[in-house]
Amino acid sequence: MAKKGVKAATAAPAKKTVAYTKAKKDSDKRKSNEPSVEEIIEDAEEEELEDEEEEDSESGSDDEEGGVDFSKINDINDSDSDSEIEDDDENENDVSKLSNGKEAGSESDSEEDDDSEEEDIDMDELDLDDLDEESKEELKASTRVRQTINNKDALLASLRRIALDTNPKTVPFKFHQSIVSSKPTESAIESVEDELQRELAFLDQSLEAARQARTLLRKEGVSFTRPTDYFAETLRSDETMEKVKAKLIEEATAKKASAEARKQRDLKKFGKQVQIQKQQERAKEKRETLEKINLLKRKRSEGGASALGAREADDLFDVAVDNELGNSHKSAGNKGGKKRSAGDHGPPNAKRQKKDQKYGFGGKKKFSKSNDATSSGDVSEFSSKRMKKGGGAGNGKKFQKAARPGKDRRKAQAGRR
Amino acid sequence: MAAVYKSLSKSTSKNDKEIDDGKNGAAGGVRKNKQRVLILSSRGVTYRHRHLLNDLAAMLPHGRKDVKFDSKSKLYQLNELAELYNCNNVMFFEARKGKDLYMWFSKVPNGPTVKFHAQNLHTMEELHFTGNCLKGSRPVLSFDATFETEPYLKVIKELFLHVFGVPEGQRKSKPFIDHVMGFSVADGKIWIRNYEIREVDKVKGEGEEEEGDKSNKKRKHEEKETDVSLVEIGPRFVLTPIIIQEGAFGGPIIYENKRFISPNQVRSDLRKAKAGRHNVRQEQQRDALARRRGLGLVDGEGKERDVLDTREVFA
Repeated sequence: MAKKGVKAATAAPAKKTVAYTKAKKDSDKRKSNEPSVEEIIEDAEEEELEDEEEEDSESGSDDEEGGVDFSKINDINDSDSDSEIEDDDENENDVSKLSNGKEAGSESDSEEDDDSEEEDIDMDELDLDDLDEESKEELKASTRVRQTINNKDALLASLRRIALDTNPKTVPFKFHQSIVSSKPTESAIESVEDELQRELAFLDQSLEAARQARTLLRKEGVSFTRPTDYFAETLRSDETMEKVKAKLIEEATAKKASAEARKQRDLKKFGKQVQIQKQQERAKEKRETLEKINLLKRKRSEGGASALGAREADDLFDVAVDNELGNSHKSAGNKGGKKRSAGDHGPPNAKRQKKDQKYGFGGKKKFSKSNDATSSGDVSEFSSKRMKKGGGAGNGKKFQKAARPGKDRRKAQAGRR
Repeated sequence: MAAVYKSLSKSTSKNDKEIDDGKNGAAGGVRKNKQRVLILSSRGVTYRHRHLLNDLAAMLPHGRKDVKFDSKSKLYQLNELAELYNCNNVMFFEARKGKDLYMWFSKVPNGPTVKFHAQNLHTMEELHFTGNCLKGSRPVLSFDATFETEPYLKVIKELFLHVFGVPEGQRKSKPFIDHVMGFSVADGKIWIRNYEIREVDKVKGEGEEEEGDKSNKKRKHEEKETDVSLVEIGPRFVLTPIIIQEGAFGGPIIYENKRFISPNQVRSDLRKAKAGRHNVRQEQQRDALARRRGLGLVDGEGKERDVLDTREVFA
């Protein structure tokens, strides 16, 4: 292969120009299936291409070599432009060329494809040597610049060949169902890295299309919405949808749980403070009620004694206190009030009250501290463990603590006193 | 009998028919949108590539999935394969190095062919989106306005229209339209998304604002009227066009994207950058050592001793 290539390469440029004129002459007469001169020449071209690469790989990038190669590249570009012209010429020409391309492709295009990357690299190396500053700047910008090919004529030609008619005047919308957005989506995206913004822009584009499509399709009488009773196989199976649902639920519950946990944590943090506050509140309440009682007592003792009898005064006083207590501390006040009002016999006289105060009131006090059946049966305080330990840890400690200090220490203490 | 009818009708309304032909005939050939897509991958695809392929195949009722193709160099063989299956489009997944995915879209008998580099693949399964649609319903294809600006983008758009657009009346396709495929160009890449069209009631505030005096008919119409919202289904992927060939898996290259940097290049650059850091550090170390040696700070060797050196004088 290589030997052949070398031979072909020497003669190639001259041969080619001849070949193209020939091909143009032939193209009208020739049918696509016949083997032709052009095909052979194309083979030769390709071999030439390969050859170039070999040369490059052997000789690196000497200046002279580079120059030579560049001219060859120009040749290749020329051939491209030739093909453009051919495209423009006529359809028949086009077809013949295409079929030709196909045949050639079936033989050696694959190799070309494989080699294309290497080719590019070589060309870049050449560019470095003898291209203007602009391209050098480009090279600096990106480590590797591919050869720019943008053969617009050929592109449009091939587009024309395959294009479906999507003209809204001649073809109904349902035929193609494609919509081009009114404005470029990229203008709505400030930076592509910003996912939210980007996806939103894409969504907007599709939403616009969907709205338009719906109106157009409705106008054409095409059923658009799926009726609720229409069941058919869906794109994503029920299993996956189930999974998605499960995932969503899981996420929701996890969020809820974490929120709950945070709340608990916060409560714990403030729980102590709340407790203290409550205690303070209670203490305050108590103080207030006591103060009120004292105030009333004082009032009674000052003004009430002269006007009313002592008994009546005391009675009233108690009622007043009860009222006051009832207002301030409802539960406690009510309790007391009820007891009093429930009892049939009135309050004890002053002497009795004094005596009660002095000696205590009611019931038998004798034997009140001695055991009875229930108390002696109560063994809740008894612990076999402590019994077995002998003395018990708590007790022993107490004893040790209470133990008498040593003599020296005692003396020292005595001295200190 | 039919022949008689034909001749009669021909004679009676020749004029009309001619006009009709003028209208339909031109479109008539084209209007029958017959597309079939051969969907296949090369060997060495990862599970992700395979799942993406399956997702796409599920969306295309006019697709024909085939077994893995055994060669990465003789792609022209795909032409014959497509012909065998009566397909006029080929969607070929070429995996390289077990990580890079290239997607080829081609019109089969005579081109063009577009080669893309696929990135950011997310299959339907791994994206936990809530959207869903009928299998094989015809999508609405939403193209970015940018697609109309450049010839190469026009070609790509046309190819997408053929491959992803389900032809009207396609067997196995469902009669309702419930999803949109979005193709957008951003950052020189083509981003592909798939959304479900969900119809929701219009916001009620709008309806109530209008006065009750208005005719019943209009009200009824409004009740029917629903708004459209989109819910993403998946898959998601991004395509970077690399080349466009004139033929089907062959022929001259008529477009090449110079902004495309091959993943191999990216990786090697990364590696080089890393190696560069290491090299710089090594160099610094070497320099430091040399400097210290020059100053005589290293044991053993140092400045040459002369007669008045401290070490000589106080030896």
